[in-house]
Amino acid sequence: MIAGKAQGQLKIKARRSMPSFVEGLLYLLPSILLFSVFLFYPMLKTIYLSFFLTDAQGNAELFVGLEHYSNLLQSTAFRTSMKATLLFVLYTVPAGIILALFLALLANQKLKGIGFFRTIFSSTMGMSVAASSVIWLFMYNPAIGLGNMMMKTFGMSEMQWLLSPDTALISVAISTIWMNTGFSFMILLGGLHNIDSHLYESGKIAGVSDFYTLRKITLPLLSPTLLFIVTVSLINSFQTFGQIDILTKGGPMESTNVIVYSIYKDAFVNFNIGSASAQAVLLFAFILIVTILQFKWGEKRVHYQ
Amino acid sequence: MSIWKKSFLYMLLSVAAFIMFFPILYAFLISFMQGGEVLQGKIIPSDFSFTNYESAVQKVPLLRYLWNSFVVSTLIMVGQVLFCCLAAFAFTFIQFKGRNVLFLIFISTMMIPWEATMVPNFQTVRALGWTDTYLGLSVPFFAMAFGTFLLRQQFKTIPMEMYEATQVAGVNRFQFLFKVVLPVSKTSLVTLAIYCFLSAWNMYLWPLLVTNDERMRTVQIGLKQMQSQELATEWGVVMAGVVMVILPTLILLFLGQKRLQEGLTRGAVK
Amino acid sequence: MKMKWKVFLLMVVAVFALVACGEKKEEGSGEKSTEAPKVDGKTEVVFWHAMSGQLEEVVNKLVSDFNASQDKIAVKAVFQGTYEEAITKFNTVAGTKDAPTIMQTFEVGTKYMIDTGKIEPVQKFIDAEKYDTSKWEKNITNYYAVDGVQYSMPFNSSTPILMYNKDAFKKAGLDPENPPKTYEELKVAAKALTTGDQKGFSILNYGWFIEELIAAQGGLFVNEENGRKGDATEAVFNGKEGQNVFNLISDMYKDGTFYNTGQNWDDMRAAFQSGKIAMYLDSSAGVRGIAEQAPFEVGAGYLPVPEGTDWQGVIIGGASLWMANGIAEEQQQAAWEFMKYLTSAEVQAQWHVNTGYFAINTDAYNQDIVKTEWEKYPQLKVTVDQLGATKPSTATQGALISVFPEARQKVVNAMESLYQGANPEEALNQAVKDTNQALDMANRKK
Repeated sequence: MIAGKAQGQLKIKARRSMPSFVEGLLYLLPSILLFSVFLFYPMLKTIYLSFFLTDAQGNAELFVGLEHYSNLLQSTAFRTSMKATLLFVLYTVPAGIILALFLALLANQKLKGIGFFRTIFSSTMGMSVAASSVIWLFMYNPAIGLGNMMMKTFGMSEMQWLLSPDTALISVAISTIWMNTGFSFMILLGGLHNIDSHLYESGKIAGVSDFYTLRKITLPLLSPTLLFIVTVSLINSFQTFGQIDILTKGGPMESTNVIVYSIYKDAFVNFNIGSASAQAVLLFAFILIVTILQFKWGEKRVHYQ
Repeated sequence: MSIWKKSFLYMLLSVAAFIMFFPILYAFLISFMQGGEVLQGKIIPSDFSFTNYESAVQKVPLLRYLWNSFVVSTLIMVGQVLFCCLAAFAFTFIQFKGRNVLFLIFISTMMIPWEATMVPNFQTVRALGWTDTYLGLSVPFFAMAFGTFLLRQQFKTIPMEMYEATQVAGVNRFQFLFKVVLPVSKTSLVTLAIYCFLSAWNMYLWPLLVTNDERMRTVQIGLKQMQSQELATEWGVVMAGVVMVILPTLILLFLGQKRLQEGLTRGAVK
Repeated sequence: MKMKWKVFLLMVVAVFALVACGEKKEEGSGEKSTEAPKVDGKTEVVFWHAMSGQLEEVVNKLVSDFNASQDKIAVKAVFQGTYEEAITKFNTVAGTKDAPTIMQTFEVGTKYMIDTGKIEPVQKFIDAEKYDTSKWEKNITNYYAVDGVQYSMPFNSSTPILMYNKDAFKKAGLDPENPPKTYEELKVAAKALTTGDQKGFSILNYGWFIEELIAAQGGLFVNEENGRKGDATEAVFNGKEGQNVFNLISDMYKDGTFYNTGQNWDDMRAAFQSGKIAMYLDSSAGVRGIAEQAPFEVGAGYLPVPEGTDWQGVIIGGASLWMANGIAEEQQQAAWEFMKYLTSAEVQAQWHVNTGYFAINTDAYNQDIVKTEWEKYPQLKVTVDQLGATKPSTATQGALISVFPEARQKVVNAMESLYQGANPEEALNQAVKDTNQALDMANRKK
């Protein structure tokens, strides 16, 4: 195993004519160029607009300083949004990864016809968010949906699913987990394949239990893949938008009004570009902190094969 | 493996497969329903005819849209993987001043919410004259911090001794990237490629903004185009569209399953 | 460390200055074009719309018919997503050469469009050729007229309507030809209709229906005569009329005769068609689809009002067509020709029959295709009669506010809180307070 930092200590003499600074920049140039145009420029503009009231065209019109920020931090709606966002992340990320891992372990068995099951498990990958959301909308429909039909068959009382503030966020989370499972499954299965089968065989000879193998061999060796999936899931979860737009529109009573949807509504429906910008800046700062923490914590725990 | 364990596994697999596949199956069933059948809460359509499929194709130029989505997604995939490779390579194998700061800046772009960038970027693309072109649809997404980060993680697992050895052998950096680094990073590259392709395939608002011409529009717009506002939507037709959109992906997944897994395994660093 | 911060601060300032400059430049560079784009020698009219599904087919048909009917103008219809998405895109390109000639916008965007200053009132063309507008349904065109100036051309217009299940009425011992006209009758009917899995009544959680129910009683939504005398500064929908509506919902919900169907139109229609609800409010544009598909007989009735209240009528909903300014005169003229074509009796009759939206031109209702359609779906006639019976006033003309979409979200929030047992008066007051805040913000920009 090689620690990621190894190369940091090595100093390679620059023997080439080109200074490494210039060469490094050459490799980075395409990305830097695009980032500047399509990310930094809009972001700076967003920061700039967050201090203004804007006209219909979204141009800055009246300087209001930090008013948008103070309004947001004081408003209950913003706090509800933050809470909904955090809860949504909490509902979707761990459950989604555990489900995908379970399916991947299941599909990693050497059985006849396993290819069929693998295809099925990864099939949600091909479903777009828009299409999946519509299907789930039908399933959640309290009148005709399969959700309540099933509840009835099992003798349980009907649920309001998307219509009650208590269950709406969880319902959206369930559909989101389903949508993301295909991709996570596929990646985790790939990760499992990469684990040296000799390790399992020696484990078998030593006579350890399946669970022990999972905990001591599989999971540690899978950790780079897991870090990848955790990061992707976190980003996706924070940016969830499509399903909310179709399933709940942020309701009922703003219980699913996650911050990204709130930004969308302010920017694209209410045309409060200023307020939307301020929310975007706050979200940016917030995710930045979470990500830094995650990397700090995550990188230490990841094992490289 | 004992027969008991085997049958238990098969049972588990079947149950899981049924649950996972059910929503897609449901969409498939709806795609055959006529008129009010969907809203009356039926599950099994009264008859399996392909009229919905016919009208889905007639309503929007779905094949053209599929082609566009395919082209755009492929372009974005190739562009992203290429740009990310270059950037990640620089961040791993080239020592230069300010590298860490630059990396941090790169990473921070990951957190910029897309809503904030959409409208200014549309103005930029318009100023460049890229509306209604594949360029406008794909180029803004070529650079991705997340991909750079992922590949950097992967590249860091490559022993530095390997790099030094090639240096001694007189191989230049660029060759090192293509001859050594990329082949051993196949897994990550494929993973990243799939991720890029899928995110691109799912785009809706951006393609809607930068295209006016029907010949340049993508599948997700097509699906939205089939749904009415205020009037009752013909869900059978929409679902027929959905099924047609996912069918190619499903077939690809099934056929590619084995090869993809093999590829993933072969590319692994041992 | 200190030095670094200073440098950083300096950079931030510099960047901001740059962004601010970029802003101004964009404003100044309104690439005004005076030459009309031509396609095969024809003047091109680009028509942006938000009509999807079956509606898009009808629009495309109208456009191709128009293009075939003459050889000077070529109209190009382009679907631009939902109304909101289309406006976002319009905002970005308004005043440049990429702007469409004709832009379709929903009714709540009316004030917003006027405020952009990027549109040309159609009144200019009506005046220029002394176009006869006497055939236009005043209850429709009034919505889009401010101070006697016709700003946009109504296109797809609809109103709410009470829909009910006639079979269920018979089963409950109610007269299927006599739908409830007052809240009191509605409550009684709903009670009788609530049996087993079936609930009596439902309203979609959508602000439009609340506005309509208030207007039917003659109530206003905002001050300044519903925003038609000047910029509205305060919401007033928590008055007596609004409270009547909210009390109705709250009482019926507590009573177990009201069913919460959420925010999705098709969810509500599914509940009706599957027999979960026996009465509900729908858009007149959806009437035909329901009548055609429901496995039972469907009836339609006017919007109810509280007993002893004079029925005032309904406000028009839907969308209208706007003409862009800053484009070549020739193009505007061509767009006007297309608009005139759209309002002709034949086209309007076709439009009404194929979509369920109203005809702006009342002559259309005398056309044969309309008569046969009405025989088949008498519910359609009810919607037209309800609109015709509407008494013109600032209440039924509809409110004019720039932050309408936001106000609707606040009303929906208030509606949803009723199902959680909130006090109707408090819920309404909260919605008014939130709307006022949005209005304040909008008015400060002026």
